Amino acid sequence: MKHVLTLLSALLVLGFTVPASAAPLRIEITEGVIEPLPYAVPDFVAENSAASKVAKDLARVVAEDLSGTGLFREIPAGAHISKITSFSSPVQFADWKAINAQALVTGAVSLQSGGRLVVKFRVYDVFAGQELGNGLQFAGTQDGWRRMAHKVADAVYSRITGEGGYFDSRVVFVSETGPKDKRKKRLAIMDYDGANVQYLTNSANIVLAPRFSPTGDRILYTSYETGFPRIYVLDVASVGRRVLEQQTGTMSFAPRFSPDGRTVVYSLSQGGNTDIYRMDIGSGRSKRLTSAPSIETAPSFSPDGSRIVFESDRSGTQQLYIMDANGGEPKRISFGQGRYGTPVWSPRGDLVAFTKQTKGRFHIGVMRTDGSEERLLTASFLDEGPSWSPNGRVIMFTRETQGASGSSSLYTVDITGRNLKRVKTKGGASDPAWSPLQN
Amino acid sequence: MNTGQYISGIGHIGLIGWLLLGDAFAPAPEPFDVTEVAVVSPEEYERIVGMQQPPETDSEAPTPPQPSEPEAPAPQPVTTPDEPPARPERDPKPETPPQDDSPDVTEILPPEPTEVQDEPPEIAPPPVEDVVVAPKKSLRPKPRPAPRVAPEPVAQPEPEAKPDEVVREEVRKDVAGETQKDESDATAPEEAAKEVVTEAEDDPSSAPVSSLRPKTRPSRPTAKPEDTATDRRSAIEKAIAEAAGPDAAPADTPEAPAGPPLTAGEKDALRVSVQRCWNTGSLSSDALRTTVIVGVKLFENGKPDVGSIRLVSSSGGSSDSARQAFEAARRAIIRCGASGYNLPKDKYAQWRDIEMTFNPEKMRIK
Repeated sequence: MKHVLTLLSALLVLGFTVPASAAPLRIEITEGVIEPLPYAVPDFVAENSAASKVAKDLARVVAEDLSGTGLFREIPAGAHISKITSFSSPVQFADWKAINAQALVTGAVSLQSGGRLVVKFRVYDVFAGQELGNGLQFAGTQDGWRRMAHKVADAVYSRITGEGGYFDSRVVFVSETGPKDKRKKRLAIMDYDGANVQYLTNSANIVLAPRFSPTGDRILYTSYETGFPRIYVLDVASVGRRVLEQQTGTMSFAPRFSPDGRTVVYSLSQGGNTDIYRMDIGSGRSKRLTSAPSIETAPSFSPDGSRIVFESDRSGTQQLYIMDANGGEPKRISFGQGRYGTPVWSPRGDLVAFTKQTKGRFHIGVMRTDGSEERLLTASFLDEGPSWSPNGRVIMFTRETQGASGSSSLYTVDITGRNLKRVKTKGGASDPAWSPLQN
Repeated sequence: MNTGQYISGIGHIGLIGWLLLGDAFAPAPEPFDVTEVAVVSPEEYERIVGMQQPPETDSEAPTPPQPSEPEAPAPQPVTTPDEPPARPERDPKPETPPQDDSPDVTEILPPEPTEVQDEPPEIAPPPVEDVVVAPKKSLRPKPRPAPRVAPEPVAQPEPEAKPDEVVREEVRKDVAGETQKDESDATAPEEAAKEVVTEAEDDPSSAPVSSLRPKTRPSRPTAKPEDTATDRRSAIEKAIAEAAGPDAAPADTPEAPAGPPLTAGEKDALRVSVQRCWNTGSLSSDALRTTVIVGVKLFENGKPDVGSIRLVSSSGGSSDSARQAFEAARRAIIRCGASGYNLPKDKYAQWRDIEMTFNPEKMRIK
């Protein structure tokens, strides 16, 4: 008993002498601001004289990529206090803080023998005074300097936002020329920003709805070469093509690859009824997935390949449905007013982009895969055909202006509905399909 | 005809008046003492009168004696910044002020300078007064005393059963038995156990599978050993912070915050200051689903100690999204704290160490 009392006394004394640990002040921040992040990209350092021009051009492309997202705002070079003269020199963060540059991209370019171009760069968090990740270096041919710039921009974008970029990607689309009633169409491919356009087909036949394969090396499209719509598959590298579906007395269209690239889903119109089919590319065998008397078309796989979203007028109006990848009872997901069409599953798997027509206007919108949280992102005389960027952040679509002299153009919009901008193309353009990121 | 009456009347009135006013009815004079009075001579009269008048005085007041002239000339006043200006000496000789029609102006002279000692005077302690000390607890009314006697009679409780010292077995009637015993019950076992039975020894089937415990606070990440470059940078930052004076590094030793806590308004002001710079526009969708708790130490001038900004915990996202969310939060803390957060200095102990929860629930794309 005596020991117990002694122990209690000691604990009591300790309790009075040992200071209590400090509890930090706690506050909760629930509201912030949404604005472009100010950044600076000074001209890359040319490590030899031959690289001086490409060093400047490369930095400009990086800046255009970043600013084009709407998430970043470049601080012009005229406001810079510090000059980057050496890639390895320490950064004077105070100078960049003074102009409120929150991110800084520095780089160096050297043109080596044999036309080999080497680009290296670093990204800094100016206010933290530290580098974001480690420096990175790309090497390639001099002709591919734009692509190297896109890769640099992708890396910068990823390090700041935490999600993958989409700058080193391509877009296949239908190039249009001529008046509306005599419009000539041909397939073309370009960088995501409209540069490096290449034509894949001639304008002798009408082509529609090109779609990239998951690896970006093949393109599915619909052509009226035979007088009826037929599905073709085209090899991008060789521009060689072959017809994929050829049943007499049928029309096939709206093809799309599965995520593994082995199968294709498409619509087949036969006897006045249009249903969705699935074809194994290797064997050429097809399987009918829907059998309703209504029109089912525009199928699109989920990223995991387990489900398909499509449009159907089985309810009397054009709506969106989801079914199993092998068929089965579809489930309607769109219930709003108007007509829904051309659904495309997001690469992230969480959203479905669609075209909506209501009250005489066309919209590009997104909704959850269960149909909830529908948001309309655009509105115009005619907006249609959405296509997702590789990171699921941006949607490219076709906008057509009204009237006999109206033309089609490509536009992009962020899934927040902000940063709507036109893609620079030579002439008219429609039916865009975004490729995955290039390797 | 009435003349006689008039004459008679006047005669009577005159007679009556004479009787009343005259000495006809005056009493005989009282006998009195007679003192002889001597005749006073004029000289004597003058002498008597002269004793009652004041003595003869001079008409002019005597002039006071002049003060002696000072031996040394009066020192000229020397004005120094540390001393009060010299006051002109007062002429001890009063002079008759000249006739002046101007209003009277009374010159208030400064008080005579007194020697001031540097040492403060000892102030006697105020007398101890009876101070009413507020009680720590409010005085609650004492409960009314309960009646000591139960209002109603209660039956006396049964006496406590005592254990039977002899353990007997149950006896029942045995028909076949030769000898018969009186029937009796077996001795009841004691209700109390022989030993203490704890909950742990209870039937485990009746115990809950798991106890509901309060959620533990998220544990802080263990500090990783920093590389040499980081150590060098930290040392440089620390040296810069020490050179900055007011930006002295906040103490790392944990101490209980002293002084009054921050008011709700002061906390709101801090929250608004930070959220002005919390830019979620460049965050990914995953990062916008990630809540991060960021710890930061502030200098006494309200500026954040950049090196102390750390990710305490995160929830709702991957490690990559948590890193992006943390970097956005760190930028917000540094940018808006560049000039120092406006916090009460007397409560520094309260806001020296802060944990900010950045919850992007309202900032998500919906």
